Amino acid sequence: MTTVLAFDTATDVVTVAVGRHGAVVASRVVESGRAHAEHLVPTVRDVLAEAGLALTALDALAVGVGPGRFTGLRVGVTTAKALALALDVPVVGLGTLDVIAHPWRDDERDVVAVVDARRREVFWSRYRPRGGRLEPVVAPTVASPADLVAALGTDEVCCVGDGVDRYRAVLAAAPGVECLPPQYSAPSPLALCELADAACAAGAADAPDALVPVYLRESDAVINWEQARPGGPT
Amino acid sequence: MLILGIETSCDETAAAVVADGRVVHSSVVSSQVDLHARYGGVVPEEASRAHVDLIVPVVRDALAAAGVTLADLDAVAACHGPGLAGALLVGVSAAKALALAADVPYVGVNHLEAHCGAGWLDHDLATPLAVLLVSGGHTLLVEVAARGEHRVLGSTVDDAAGEAFDKVARFLGLGYPGGPAIDRLAADGDRTAIAFPRAMPGELDASFSGLKTAVVQYVRAHPEAPVADVAASFQEAVVDQLVDKLARAADAVGAATLVLGGGVAANSRLRERTAALAAATGREVFLPPLALCTDNAAMIAAAAAVRLVADGPTPLDAGVDPNLGLG
Ligand SMILES: [Zn+2]
Repeated sequence: MTTVLAFDTATDVVTVAVGRHGAVVASRVVESGRAHAEHLVPTVRDVLAEAGLALTALDALAVGVGPGRFTGLRVGVTTAKALALALDVPVVGLGTLDVIAHPWRDDERDVVAVVDARRREVFWSRYRPRGGRLEPVVAPTVASPADLVAALGTDEVCCVGDGVDRYRAVLAAAPGVECLPPQYSAPSPLALCELADAACAAGAADAPDALVPVYLRESDAVINWEQARPGGPT
Repeated sequence: MLILGIETSCDETAAAVVADGRVVHSSVVSSQVDLHARYGGVVPEEASRAHVDLIVPVVRDALAAAGVTLADLDAVAACHGPGLAGALLVGVSAAKALALAADVPYVGVNHLEAHCGAGWLDHDLATPLAVLLVSGGHTLLVEVAARGEHRVLGSTVDDAAGEAFDKVARFLGLGYPGGPAIDRLAADGDRTAIAFPRAMPGELDASFSGLKTAVVQYVRAHPEAPVADVAASFQEAVVDQLVDKLARAADAVGAATLVLGGGVAANSRLRERTAALAAATGREVFLPPLALCTDNAAMIAAAAAVRLVADGPTPLDAGVDPNLGLG
């Protein structure tokens, strides 16, 4: 059945795709920088027009829930929630790192997705290709590039994502690491459509209220407040 | 003309349905004050996160309370500034998505303009207005010659009035938010007990940072001074300064009506003195109910009706402006 509108705004790129049965019907990838709120809704409108579809033709929505840039993440998740409310369709949250790693699911090595987390840190997770799928090995986490290199040791892995672009020199110095080139760093339309279709088929689509961004980092105020009170939050 | 308005510029997640820029069909406000209380002020990242969680339930409630669906709307509006960038983006993103889905115009609304126009909700106001807009984020004197026509006459050169209340309340150990705490305590104090300074006399601009410093110095020098007297005297110094400037602004523009707006407009002494000023000068006065003084989305939807007629829809590729000014 499923015709899905899927998008991800957790990196500096806005990816929007309309998929049917996991195939891309129409898509755009926009270098957006910090201007996601400006680009996302017009891009959704344009992609639907290119697909020749009205919003009412959608069966479900999918959105990248991070981890990634907090502001971009909120623009994407809020837009997905509002569209789901308006269209009365379910919405599924996709892990942004899962989407970035997805095209490498047939590699013989483990795949490490790495997204720039600012403040000299990265969000990363590790997957093992098995039977055309990626199985999670290390769940999404936040670390310095040096700690990521230490965690990888001498393992043979391929690393992909905009965190690789940012810290290529550090990561490439690790013995077993291949850094994939920048054209693979952003969430791809096909990966969004395939994962969205699989998630919908698995019954993962839910009401918009269930959709929550994955921040993986408390705000500074919470960190400072909890550090100032050894007992933790009350 | 039925408009859904959304407001997320600071720490209130709000949605409202307003007809013809005047009639409130619903107005839902979900305050985050408890979330921010432990930090003694609004934390932008926490506020932005809370808006994401609250926006759908609040919009759903506003539509249900008005007994309408998105298909009944003629436009969807959101506050696009001034305010916290990350917080504004939530409301603007939601409004654009809803407008796209409902196939109606999106309207970006200036928060300050919305405050100035809140008086027209369910009321008629004789123009020109002299509006005193006082909150934790702003302290402005505005001439409203006609609905939608604004000119800023004066503003604070440092802290906002509400910020001064919060800072002094924190210093006195009264908690957050400071305005209501000081207002309550001041009721038991002597407002003539301590002669705190009134800054920038004779001008339309205001200043509160010196007053805050004076309170701190006084309490350190007089630890025995009753806190209620300190609160009452501080409050009187703020209100004196504000009412003096409102009087000058009203004279300067020949105001027919005096209007208060913003969270500090809930202050009982400010309301009392503003009403007295209006009576003494033969002017009308509009002291909005608390729900219209503090941040709400009905004022956004009302201002959007005026903007939509005057300027047309806002493009879907418009962003937010955290430093947006007025007039
Ligand atoms: Zn306000």
